[in-house]
Amino acid sequence: MAANNPTGVDKEQAFGMAETEMEYRVELFNRLAQTCFNKCVDKRYKESELNMGENSCIDRCVSKYWQVNSMIGQLLSAGGRPPM
Amino acid sequence: MASSNPETESNNGSSIAKEPEKPQIEAFRMPTMEEMRAQEVWNNCAVRSVASGVMGGGLGLMMGMFLGALDNPIMQEEMTGRQQFMYTMRQMGQRSWSSAKAFAVMGLIFSAAECVVEKARAKHDTTNTVVAGCVTGGTMSAKGGPKAACAGCAGFAAFSVLIEKFLDRHT
Repeated sequence: MAANNPTGVDKEQAFGMAETEMEYRVELFNRLAQTCFNKCVDKRYKESELNMGENSCIDRCVSKYWQVNSMIGQLLSAGGRPPM
Repeated sequence: MASSNPETESNNGSSIAKEPEKPQIEAFRMPTMEEMRAQEVWNNCAVRSVASGVMGGGLGLMMGMFLGALDNPIMQEEMTGRQQFMYTMRQMGQRSWSSAKAFAVMGLIFSAAECVVEKARAKHDTTNTVVAGCVTGGTMSAKGGPKAACAGCAGFAAFSVLIEKFLDRHT
């Protein structure tokens, strides 16, 4: 198997990495949606559409979540060990 | 979810003679970019306030025409029937135009204020209605001085809260 790929990256390794990445992305999306829904949407449903306050809250929540997530990702990948 | 729809449809076709028709449950579709953009149009404060202003103008027009038609002309004996009709028409036109302007401005200011406050607070509350009502009442009675502005603010805020509670009474 390794003789077929001169680049050195195994096909199975690439698939494994892609699968891990996909799981990570799916988990990130689910957690993001869950967190921002719990934070922003009132539990007593009065109408089916998102009103403007909820839209604005969701925009801010997603923006913060994404920024913090990318910052922590950079810290963990660059530092190796978290500075604790 | 896509596979469950043909099953319910075939069940309905076979049992429609025996049972009353069950309500069809549609599969859930994610909104397309066009639908999202169309929804985003109504999130814009300028669009909402202009639409409210137009609706307020229409309402003011109707109200002005109705109230203007009820007014009797002062000189009833001197004019013929046609002259009376023209006079009533002109009265109605003037009343409805001035009332349309007033209501349009009121709707515009109220909607703009409520939109801006709600976007800033990121919450859907009655506080937005109170602040918007106060701003509208204050600007509309600002010509009478600060006391009149405060009274207008409080009065219109209370009125808006009452209307909001009335419109949402069944939730």
